[in-house]
Amino acid sequence: MEYIVEKIGMSRTIGATSKVVTLLKVKEAKVCEVNDGVALVAYSEGKSMNKPVEGQQKKYNLSAEFNKFATLEVSNTEAGDLDMAPLANAQTVKSSFNTKGRGFTGVMKRWNFAGGPGAHGHRFHRTSGSIGNREWPGKVQKGRKMSGQYGNEQVTVKNEVMSFDAENGVLVVVGSIPGANGALGRVKVVK
Amino acid sequence: MKNKYIASFEQAQIAGKNIPEFRAGDTLRLAVTITEGEKSRVQNYEGICISIRGEGTGKTITVRKIGANGVGIERVFPIYSDSLEKIEVLRRGRVRRAKLFYLRDLAGKAARIKEIRRK
Repeated sequence: MEYIVEKIGMSRTIGATSKVVTLLKVKEAKVCEVNDGVALVAYSEGKSMNKPVEGQQKKYNLSAEFNKFATLEVSNTEAGDLDMAPLANAQTVKSSFNTKGRGFTGVMKRWNFAGGPGAHGHRFHRTSGSIGNREWPGKVQKGRKMSGQYGNEQVTVKNEVMSFDAENGVLVVVGSIPGANGALGRVKVVK
Repeated sequence: MKNKYIASFEQAQIAGKNIPEFRAGDTLRLAVTITEGEKSRVQNYEGICISIRGEGTGKTITVRKIGANGVGIERVFPIYSDSLEKIEVLRRGRVRRAKLFYLRDLAGKAARIKEIRRK
C-alpha cells in the first residue's frame, strides 16, 4: 500500500537509548478509480489550478482543493477516501523522496575525492585531476566520477515504523529520510 | 518554534516527567542510572549547571564539577532522558548570565557562585 506523505521534521525519543525519529504527515487523498489494486488518487498541494485539472475534478466529483493526481497501490476496492487502515499495523515502510538538490557540485563533495593540499605552492586543490589513461584506451572510461548535478534525485530508504496517529495522520518512523522538511514523497508499506 | 505535530509528539513523551525548576548557576544532584551488563545501579552526579539549551525532548543541561586532582568535569544530560532518575536542586546561585562558560577559566575561590534565596 502506498501513500503520499509530507516530511514534517525530525525529533528524538527519551528512552535510555534514545532513538532518532522522523515525522511524516500522510496526505488525505481521494481515490478516483481503482483497477486491480492500483488507483488514480487525487490529493492537494498548493493552489495551482488549470482547466484540465478542473475537468478531472468535475469528472470524479472532487472538491476544488484536490488539484494533484498520482497513481498509487491502494487497499480500497472502490472510489472514495483513501483507506489508511494498513498504516495502523505497519511495521516497516519504504519511503521514496527526492534528496536535497545541491546544484553543480565538485568531485570532493559529490564523490568524496580526497583533493590536494591547500597551500605551499600546490596547484592541485579541489580539482578532479587526471581522468584518463594513455593512447590506449584513448578515451575516458564510462562511469568516470566527475563533477556535476548532485542531489535532487529519488532515493528510497527502508525504515521501521514507531507509531501512527490516525487522527492527525502522523506517521513516525525510526531514523532519517531523504529530502527537506515540507517535501512530498511516497511511503510504501512493506510489512 | 517547533512544528505543532513535532511539539505534540514530544509533549506526549515529556508529560509524565517531573523536573524541578532551575537555572544556570544552580547546584544540582542528578541520579544517573548506569547499566553494566545486566545489573543497573544509580550513581549521583553533583555539580553546577552552566548551560541549558534546546527545547522539547532534546533539551539538555551541562553540569560542571571539579573532580579528583582539581580536574574539571563537564557532562551533558538530556533532562527528559529515562536514564536520569531524579534531578534535585541543592543550591540556587546568583549569576548574571544564562551560560556560565567563564567558569572554565576560573579556579578555586574565584569559581565560587554566591547563593541566593529565591521565593
